Amino acid sequence: MREAALVVTLRPWLGQLARQRRRLWGGAGLLALTLLAAVGLLALSGWFITASALTGMALAAGIAASLDVHVPGGGIRLFAVTRTLARYAERLYNHDTVLRLLADLRGRLFAVLAGLDARTLAWQRSSDWLNRLTADIDTLDGLYLRLLAPPLVSLAVIGLLAGFLALWVPTAGLAVGAGLAVAWLWLTAGQGWLGMAASRGQVAHRQRLRSLVVEHLQGLAELEAYGRTAHHRQRLRACEARLQRDQRRLALRAALGSALSGLAVGLAMLATLWLAAAAWQGGEIGGAVMVMLPLAVLALGEALSLLPAAFTHLGATCAAAERLNALAAADRQAAPPAAETLPDGALPVTLDGVTLHYPGALAPALDAVTLAIPAGARLALTGASGAGKSSVAALLTRQLAPSRGEIRLGGAALTDVAEPLLRERVALLGQRVDLFQGSLADNLRLAAPEADDARLWRAIDWVALTDWAAELPAGLATPVGEGGRQLSGGQARRLALARLWLRDPGLVILDEPFAGLDAATVARLAPRLDAWLAGRTALYLVHQLADARFAPPGISHHAHLVEGRVTVFAHCGAIGQDEG
Amino acid sequence: MRHASRPRRWLAGHAAGQRRWLHLAVAAGLAAGLLTVAQLALLAWLVGRLLGEGAAPADLAPAFAALAGCLLLRALCQWAQEAAGQEASLRVRQRVRAELLDHLAALEPVRAGARHSAGVASLLVEQVEALDGYFSRFLPQLRLAVAIPLAVLVVVVWLDWLAALFLLLAAPMIPLFMALVGLGAERLNRDQYAAVSRLAGHFLDRVRGITTLQLFGRTAAVTREVHAAADHYRRLSLRPLRLAFLSSAVLEFFASVAIAVVAIYVGFGLLGYVEYGPSPRLTLFSGLLVLLLAPEFFQPLRSLAQHYHDRAAALGAAENMLALLDERVHAQRCAASPPPARPACLVSLAGVTLSHPGRGRVLGPLDLDVAEGETLVITGASGAGKSVLLQLLAGFVGPDAGERCMAPGLRFAWLDQRPLLIHGSLADNLRLIAPAASDAELWQALQRAGLGDFCAQLPGGLATRLGERGAGLSGGQAQRLAVARLFLSNAALLLLDEPTANLDERTEACLVAALGELAGEGRSLVIATHHPALMALATRHLVVDAGRLASVAREEGHDA
Repeated sequence: MREAALVVTLRPWLGQLARQRRRLWGGAGLLALTLLAAVGLLALSGWFITASALTGMALAAGIAASLDVHVPGGGIRLFAVTRTLARYAERLYNHDTVLRLLADLRGRLFAVLAGLDARTLAWQRSSDWLNRLTADIDTLDGLYLRLLAPPLVSLAVIGLLAGFLALWVPTAGLAVGAGLAVAWLWLTAGQGWLGMAASRGQVAHRQRLRSLVVEHLQGLAELEAYGRTAHHRQRLRACEARLQRDQRRLALRAALGSALSGLAVGLAMLATLWLAAAAWQGGEIGGAVMVMLPLAVLALGEALSLLPAAFTHLGATCAAAERLNALAAADRQAAPPAAETLPDGALPVTLDGVTLHYPGALAPALDAVTLAIPAGARLALTGASGAGKSSVAALLTRQLAPSRGEIRLGGAALTDVAEPLLRERVALLGQRVDLFQGSLADNLRLAAPEADDARLWRAIDWVALTDWAAELPAGLATPVGEGGRQLSGGQARRLALARLWLRDPGLVILDEPFAGLDAATVARLAPRLDAWLAGRTALYLVHQLADARFAPPGISHHAHLVEGRVTVFAHCGAIGQDEG
Repeated sequence: MRHASRPRRWLAGHAAGQRRWLHLAVAAGLAAGLLTVAQLALLAWLVGRLLGEGAAPADLAPAFAALAGCLLLRALCQWAQEAAGQEASLRVRQRVRAELLDHLAALEPVRAGARHSAGVASLLVEQVEALDGYFSRFLPQLRLAVAIPLAVLVVVVWLDWLAALFLLLAAPMIPLFMALVGLGAERLNRDQYAAVSRLAGHFLDRVRGITTLQLFGRTAAVTREVHAAADHYRRLSLRPLRLAFLSSAVLEFFASVAIAVVAIYVGFGLLGYVEYGPSPRLTLFSGLLVLLLAPEFFQPLRSLAQHYHDRAAALGAAENMLALLDERVHAQRCAASPPPARPACLVSLAGVTLSHPGRGRVLGPLDLDVAEGETLVITGASGAGKSVLLQLLAGFVGPDAGERCMAPGLRFAWLDQRPLLIHGSLADNLRLIAPAASDAELWQALQRAGLGDFCAQLPGGLATRLGERGAGLSGGQAQRLAVARLFLSNAALLLLDEPTANLDERTEACLVAALGELAGEGRSLVIATHHPALMALATRHLVVDAGRLASVAREEGHDA
């Protein structure tokens, strides 16, 4: 049962490996060649020395005897060179294969993440995701090089060796084959079972520790102010202690495995010597062969020595695979290809009885919301935090799908609009501004990859950041920190506005466009925004319209949301509504 | 060279702290090595007795049993070696993590938070883990790689000094090759670690903004970028691996050639072809034992080579850690602040200036006193330096010049737009700062922060769990939770950086009322804001303009 579950978990990843089948077989072949050369080298050397000694003794006793030294000598040299070259080639070749697989996996996983909807994205927090992307994939890299090729190759070599022994001493072949097969089974499946819980725990604790560290760093200011840094450190320490408990457990079990692998090979060698000695005594084999057989078994040690460490950590690979599988499964709701086009200019929007229910929530986030925004109109949607304004934005940008009801954009059902077109024609300034690690220019070009510097400067000018930007020593190449931290909240927001300006949308959704800006800046920005919005439909998400200085310009309609329901929907007698 | 040896010295310092476990690992490893020699000697002796003297296997049963005993003991010693090495490594990793966290806590907290948290998280988690192999395997093996070959050599000299000479000639080549290979690998490994850290930052950054990427229709382009970054990492990784594998190939070569040369020399000696030196005295026992010991002479070095990348990885990680540990903790920040000159003053800044690297002076010179019970509102254009001024008052940042004074034993609270929310229950989030608070006190604080009704209707109540970074709460609710903490704390000074940004009117009104209530309790408030309702709370109003402070008279209103 356990084995079956394991195979199901790993199947997608084995499938991924199978695409590189030829490289994998090539790598396994090189691995086998290295092992066989090592076995051959020691066995042939043992045979040669013994044969030489016996010949020498015969000669000393005056018995005519001779030994061809050239063939074994050449064989020994061949094995020695083969072993070295095959080892080097195998390691390079296999690591390159694995890293190729890794790059593919990283890209594939990012594509999976990019396809998730807003709800799933909100649930998975960033530091957790980073772990998925790097640690989980790094863990999965062990699949081929640690968990697939070595056990298969060592099993094959055990089989070949047992066959070789059986040619001379059938009982020895049988004993060694059976004994080492059992040892192999323990070193792989047994060790995997032994380390399963601790290995899974280790992954979970490490991930937890990582998110605690991020939490700790980001909250240092508050923690220090309250004098609670030490207390939070205690949480970190407790988590680390759990991690180390599992690591200690794993290390002791892996050590047990590697001690057992040495013991198993040693005992197999001993048994072979005993049986071969009996066969030699019975005259079935010569003395040189009697020495060659146990030495061949002894050389097998390195085939088994790396198995226990790899398999004790099998649980980590399984846990990583399971989590990535779950993530990929969340992406299955891929929408059917949509090809509907949108008219040029301002886009009208209608929501008809739209209900949005988050799974597990007590009440729907939006309850039978019906709204109509004519082309070119500007609707201010007000409401308290949590009233559902952001949900409306997520629905209109198709980041979420409504549980019930229909949304139409530019006359077409929103679900039918072609993806690139939707992204081109609908722009959203969300509550949270994402500035990416990169230059100022990189962040602006996100909206318009082909824009030249002059156009970027115009965008900066449009949001009244020229004075600030012109003083930057590096200008447009100034790096912008993680999450825009090195910019003030207002500056980051204005840069995000500049990004919108670089596009030509027919529907613009602005979530608190002037949050964090002072009155003077708002006074400069509002007329520019007003002019730019002419000929576009606008949806403002604002909590209040009380302070006229901070109100977005040209509101023609007003709707108020209370706990997911529209309570007011009014035409405000458009203020200077230009026809695009 | 001096530069390169610093990480090594730092690692050595940590190793010295775990001397006992490391010594135990070496002792167990040495015992295992000696038992291997004994086991091989028994094997050769058995073969010699059987073939040379025609003994019957049954007569040799005690020797067979002794060999089995050797195997068993050796397995035990191997186990002990790994276990002791791991224990040393676990303890070192715990200490290193503590050292790094101590240092981060001493740095400026807002700067620590602003730094690439993925990069630092990777430093504290993955890179600390990267020290494992160095302490658990490499360091013990370093000793064993000297001791065991020496022991083997002694036995081989006793058996046949000419064969020992072959081994001895090969031996000096090995450190030479290792050094050559190691030097290159070390530098490349450093580059690789920098790349890994950048890659981690790149990922987190892109993933964090994935919604924005979706909205701009850029996910396909960024997916390609991510693939390209990962592939670049592959090419970077492959270069050190090529060298690391070369070092193990060299050892593989020597081990193979030693077997081949010894086998042929011993074979010819036994045939009587070699008349020189000790060769004529070779027997099946001594010849076979020399052959069996030849790979054992190189085996510890081969293990060392296998663990060599552990050393390079640890050095790379150590260098990154030292880069963090080298970051200067501002003297002003560590020094105890002297009490302010005026008695009713909680915090004061005198002649303070501050500059940011790459951006020049951002603040000052300025003087500011915060008096007991006053509500000081600071306004100014965005980016004028309001936040930095608050950080200076908090002592999170040390000024470049001037002095910060603080009333002895002053407790203060901090609230900005990104309140700390820990992964845990609502109660955990509140008790974070008031561990002794009763449930009733928590409820009262929530009520005063305007979050009481919301929390009361949660089925889990105070035990409701929040996700990482407060997943499950809206921005306004998170902010109100942080305000509830203000009520719970007995801080005399509250430093608030744009507390109402992004909040809805109800939350905002709630917050303004709450702050008014806090001011009414006699607490001092310093608020950086644009918000008129908050400005109305002010008993004093200052404007930051181009890093300088200017006073605004109450009567003039708030049209700064």
